[in-house]
Amino acid sequence: MLLWIGIIVIIIVIFFLLIYWGFYNRIIRMENRIDNSWAQIDVQLKRRTDLIPNLMETVKGYMKHEKEVLENVTKARSAVMSAKSPQENIDADNMLTGALKSLFAVAENYPDLKANQNFLQLQDELTHTEDKIAYSRQHFNDVTLAYNNTIETFPGLWFAKRMNRKTREMLQIPEADRELPKVKF
Amino acid sequence: MEKKLLVEDHIRRNKRQTIIVCSFMAILFIAVVLSLGYILFAGNIIIALIFAIPIAIGYVLITYSISVQTVLSAAKARPANPRNREEKLFMYKVEEMSIAAGLPMPKVYVQDADNINAFATGKKPEEAVICATTGALNKLKTDELEGVMAHEMSHIKNNDILIMTVTVAVVGAIALISELVFWSLFWGGGARGGRKGDGNAIIIVLAIIFVILAPIFSRLTYLAISRKREYLADSNGAYLTRNPEGLAKALEKIKKDHPRDKPKGSKTVAPLYIANPFKSVSVSSIWATHPPIDERIRRLRSM
Repeated sequence: MLLWIGIIVIIIVIFFLLIYWGFYNRIIRMENRIDNSWAQIDVQLKRRTDLIPNLMETVKGYMKHEKEVLENVTKARSAVMSAKSPQENIDADNMLTGALKSLFAVAENYPDLKANQNFLQLQDELTHTEDKIAYSRQHFNDVTLAYNNTIETFPGLWFAKRMNRKTREMLQIPEADRELPKVKF
Repeated sequence: MEKKLLVEDHIRRNKRQTIIVCSFMAILFIAVVLSLGYILFAGNIIIALIFAIPIAIGYVLITYSISVQTVLSAAKARPANPRNREEKLFMYKVEEMSIAAGLPMPKVYVQDADNINAFATGKKPEEAVICATTGALNKLKTDELEGVMAHEMSHIKNNDILIMTVTVAVVGAIALISELVFWSLFWGGGARGGRKGDGNAIIIVLAIIFVILAPIFSRLTYLAISRKREYLADSNGAYLTRNPEGLAKALEKIKKDHPRDKPKGSKTVAPLYIANPFKSVSVSSIWATHPPIDERIRRLRSM
């Protein structure tokens, strides 16, 4: 009798250990995914700030009377580069998106510029990078949400407490911003 | 928040159904090969087993390993050319969708064809391939192409590409065996069973009937998997772009599109595409590769 109770207890303990093992790995995997998608956003932001000097170089010769537009882009770019917190970064980046948008809008008035292959390529690539930034942020929020759901619902809740895990913060991206990258040329 | 859970629930249910359907396919396949062995060796089950199992496993493994090349060459697809602006923007869209889905960037191919279509294939997300027709690149606007790419990316994320590749292989094999048996009846092989005149003869006749009917079962199962996955890829794709309207508009264009040239490729790979390139069955039917396009549009618009 005692033997049987012992066996049952051992089975239950092993069962719980296995579940704990599963959840431990799952939570760690999810955390890595969040960190990775965060890094992905940085990669795209860096790519964009790298592209802008090229764009300025190309545009400079054509847009002599659009000093303000060009200055806004440069200003926004340095704001992105000097941003400290994630939210600061997002705000500066939205500023840059807006500045680029008006630059491309003004470019419509310069047929020579619009015929420039280099400019067209940069325009395509910047639009692409903006979309990538938007989607990498969206993915960051998706994986963060999945993580939060896991550690806030039963039974993940129980394991997360043992592992001292707290919910992660999602990026606040206003709905309208999601539309911004889709500039119509 | 609720929607996210819903999608995840869908994926979980999808996985379960996949396992059931795939095991059914595997059992059907083994039964067919076994029956073939039984017919050939006139009822000796052990020889039949020795004969059947290595061939069945070997066949599936070989088709599996060359599947991507097979599909790509059936579609006469070529790698996308980044020097062409249209194809470059297409590669950009694929990259964006892979970022949204958190998957590695698939290889991008183009099929020179006038109709609007696209497909994804590959064994796993790391080796996936996405292909679109030049018609799709010409005729779809940015957000529509984005919707289509999100749909294909969802096929990759849900592991549909593997399931479809393997089932294409199995369906093909069953069809081949069935045809083999069917034609061998004309060569007078059918008399062999009668000569024995014992209980084996009946089983052999039953085995022949089974083998000849098997392609119907395998095909129907395959089509059922295909249809289920289309709805799921539609909704997951809409989740990736946060814009169901893009894919809805693309589907509308596909519906109204009248391509000039005949679609290329074999009918077996038709379910891989976003919409059936052969368009023979557009209504709801157990023979359809895809759900009716109007119903797909309706579901997208009601999200």
